[in-house]
Amino acid sequence: MLSVLILLVAACGNGNNGAASSSASSSAPASSEAAGSPSASAASSAEASGTRNVKHALGDLPITGVPKKIVVLEWTYAEELLTLGVQPAGVADIENMKKWISTPTELSADVQDVGTRQEPNLETIAALEPDLIIGVKFRHEATYDQLNGIAPTLLFDPYPPEGQGDQYQEMLDTFHTIADVLGKQAEAEAMLADLQKTYDDGKAKLAAAGKEGRSIVLTMPWVDQNAVTFRISTDNALAIKNLEHLGLKNAFKPAQFEVYGYSTTGVEALQSVQDADYLHITAEDDVLPMLEKNPVWTGLNFVKDKRVYALGGDTWPYGGPYAAKLMAERAVNALTAAQ
Amino acid sequence: MIKALVREPAPSPPRMEPALPARGGRGWLPFAMLAGGLLLLAVLAFVSLTQGLSHISVATAFDALIAPKDTPDHRVIHGVRLPRTAMALLSGTALAVSGALMQSVTRNPLASETTLGINAGAFLVVAVGTVFWPGLLHQYAFLFAVAGGAGAALLVFGMGGGRKGTPIRIALSGMIVTLVLSSVTSALLLLFEQSTQGLFLWGSGSLNQNDWSGVRFAWPWVAGGLAVVLLAVRHLDLLAFGEETAQSLGHRIAGTRTFAMGAGIVLACVSVSIVGPIGFIGLLAPHIVKLSGMTRHAWLLPLSAIWGAAILLGADTIARSFAASAVGELPAGAVTAFIGAPWIIWLALRVSKHAASSAGAESRASMQISLFAKRMPYPLLILAFAALLVLVSLAALMSGTLHLSAEQVVSTLLGNGTPLHEKVLIDLRLPRLLTAAVVGVALAASGSLMQSAVRNPLADPQIVGVSSGAGVGAMLLLIAFPALPPGWVPVGAFAGGLAAAAIVYAAAWRRGLSPTVLTLVGIAVAASGSALINILVVYAKLTLAPALAWLAGSTYARSWSELGQTLPFIALLLPLAWWLGRRVDLLSFHDESSTGLGLPVRRTRLLVALLAVLLASVAVAAVGAVGFIGLLAPHAARMLAGSNHRRMILLSSLIGAVLLVGADWIGRIVLSPKEIPSGIVVALIGAPYLVFLMFRSRAGR
Repeated sequence: MLSVLILLVAACGNGNNGAASSSASSSAPASSEAAGSPSASAASSAEASGTRNVKHALGDLPITGVPKKIVVLEWTYAEELLTLGVQPAGVADIENMKKWISTPTELSADVQDVGTRQEPNLETIAALEPDLIIGVKFRHEATYDQLNGIAPTLLFDPYPPEGQGDQYQEMLDTFHTIADVLGKQAEAEAMLADLQKTYDDGKAKLAAAGKEGRSIVLTMPWVDQNAVTFRISTDNALAIKNLEHLGLKNAFKPAQFEVYGYSTTGVEALQSVQDADYLHITAEDDVLPMLEKNPVWTGLNFVKDKRVYALGGDTWPYGGPYAAKLMAERAVNALTAAQ
Repeated sequence: MIKALVREPAPSPPRMEPALPARGGRGWLPFAMLAGGLLLLAVLAFVSLTQGLSHISVATAFDALIAPKDTPDHRVIHGVRLPRTAMALLSGTALAVSGALMQSVTRNPLASETTLGINAGAFLVVAVGTVFWPGLLHQYAFLFAVAGGAGAALLVFGMGGGRKGTPIRIALSGMIVTLVLSSVTSALLLLFEQSTQGLFLWGSGSLNQNDWSGVRFAWPWVAGGLAVVLLAVRHLDLLAFGEETAQSLGHRIAGTRTFAMGAGIVLACVSVSIVGPIGFIGLLAPHIVKLSGMTRHAWLLPLSAIWGAAILLGADTIARSFAASAVGELPAGAVTAFIGAPWIIWLALRVSKHAASSAGAESRASMQISLFAKRMPYPLLILAFAALLVLVSLAALMSGTLHLSAEQVVSTLLGNGTPLHEKVLIDLRLPRLLTAAVVGVALAASGSLMQSAVRNPLADPQIVGVSSGAGVGAMLLLIAFPALPPGWVPVGAFAGGLAAAAIVYAAAWRRGLSPTVLTLVGIAVAASGSALINILVVYAKLTLAPALAWLAGSTYARSWSELGQTLPFIALLLPLAWWLGRRVDLLSFHDESSTGLGLPVRRTRLLVALLAVLLASVAVAAVGAVGFIGLLAPHAARMLAGSNHRRMILLSSLIGAVLLVGADWIGRIVLSPKEIPSGIVVALIGAPYLVFLMFRSRAGR
């Protein structure tokens, strides 16, 4: 039948295609490398020109030159790119990204939306002819081969399993890796220095307000049709490690290791942590009215003592250094605000 | 004109129990049931009060009820746990009474909020409300739920043949409607991932309560509904007689019917609007009561209410007992599905026994060959659809983010395109297209075979539980061995599909693989498969998005490797299916005739069914649980070319390929760059066509 014929023709075509596409992709970075050489050579010399191996969640990936057109499939890495002063060529789910996270600069208007984070549109990505694709392991591992066929693809795994490292260190490592690939080590160092300064200033402010070393819990509540459900952050969470740099301590101890950094529970779980300060990231405004009708909530010590602090719905607890800085600043401001 | 494809004798649906009990129940039994139920309720209520994250002993719970103080423990009991227990009681009552009413009205032992699509309809409308009108939904959740539930019930009845529908047919159309509506709901959950994050779990039933507002809303409706219905018990008892008898006795039961059905829907929707769709209570509770001989509504309704409340409370208790384990708290609806599924299997065996001994409606039904007045010659049909396939394929290859003209497509295929075109066409679009075509062929062939084996034009691998089984197999593999490369998922799917089919056939074997039993048990297995999948998704936590996408049936990112895994199997199995054609033709007659013609009926049926399951499993392994093609393609083929099986396999394979390729194409371009999974597009295309077919076949009788 006709489909068999198409199959045969395609198979022949595919054989030729293999050679053609590899030569095409190797010529593109060469030209971009020439264009981008000033910043590249300013960075650590030998890495910028030539091929180097970049370590990522699926092993080593050879990358040639400095990528110019980057497609990012998870919001955290888009934020990191913007922090380094690079506009991506394509980002997944831009509309929701603008709703849920904040970035140091706005995404430029000609950044292409490439579909959902879970199922990015491969054709749209291919049509952009990118030099680099950045994704996340738990979403994009299954389609890695196809993504890598379009452009060299880096996958990161922000949720290390128990005993294999912590989320905060992973965030820093990934940030450095991306900065190295893009030749933006200087900007990276600047951001991290800024972050450290935020920690130091924050600690000082907290000490001045008598709030240093406080016990806190961090939650992300939402309404689950009938009741409020909480994601309470655990010690291994990126957000908690971030707040620990301010000297704050997490009061919540989960029953088991939570690889994503939070336990999902109901309001009863808050009873065991009611003497800590309650920090929350609430994106929807129907949560608080519902909680106020709940007698367990109203009986909690931190509610009665007014130690409930909102960090703003667009504080992204899974982000990069900029998000960490934002969260630290907001936490300090909330805790030291005049009662 | 198109005649009916299946003629069933115009029946009064087979009755499960006598119109009035021979005696009014043995004297002590009703009271024993009452006392037993109440005792169970009390015990379960106390147990449930002690469950939760703060440790509260039975003594404290007791204390809190008798002498409430303002301690934290007592606050927890009064503020959070007692509402939950109360809600479970109200919900269980509402669902059980609703189920009993529906069963009486339709004289169908299988009628309930689950099987008549009411749960699915209400959930869909609530999901739509959550996405588009969240404020409105918050205020009027009940109205949304009723609109959805009533709409779905109407659809199911229309499709199932209205008052003349047999229990099996209505159960099947309920299943189909549920599948369609769930597909649309899945689409919403996928496309609006952040704003519907709580909805997935709620969709499995969640008795979690914030305060007393839910209970305060529900109890007037439930109490009122129950009271009103109890006042009408004498009229309800008359429903069991059937129209002619009742009319001859001078009563109009049309009004009673409408009233009872309406009450049933309203009660079910009260529950859904607050705690989400919880299934099987409406089936379990009334049947437990009827088992003890109580069929008069004066006893049936209150006892069903008590036992329904007890079952739901028990299910919730079991669900919450998992909270401390690695799995986490299960949704109550998943537990009820687990309890309910074996029950349906048992019920199915019982119904088939009665059906066989009474009118013997199903075993005598034969598939009539349709006579299409303006019949096209067969070769012309094949050519027409092949041409259609080529056209649709060309369109699919041309469209997408990068628009290619027809000349560009052809020249790229011949190796003369630009590297970008080659990448897009040959690496991305072509393997996807071919996978869709091959899977479409497999599903259509599987559907044809299964419909012949089960001798019911509504059979489809999804309905017989193969798709759910494959889904369970794949998820179990993903969870048990997370380190395995994704290429192993098809193996799990294969194993799961076969296991599910094995259960269904084993259960039906003793009834000679009767079509009735196969279908019913298939429904039960499919339902428990879905419940199990929901549980596994809860267990796997964040991997919700990938699981949902796969479960919906998707051709996203299918590459040459998937095609390579699928094509050999199909190339092997399809000719086998064609070769079996003559015997399958014989299967379509009455069992006695077929045996008389020398066909080993049971063995052939098993072989045909096995082949169908293999084809379906391979398909599900490749693209996830795509449904409806196995239903629609054979239907269309039969309408156009008659029932000659060999012709039908070829034609329906072509139609199946066209359908899935078309769905893949539409799913890609409609919301670009977002994609709608092909399984959902097929459901959306297929649903109106299916409804049309059903109405047509009903009218043509």
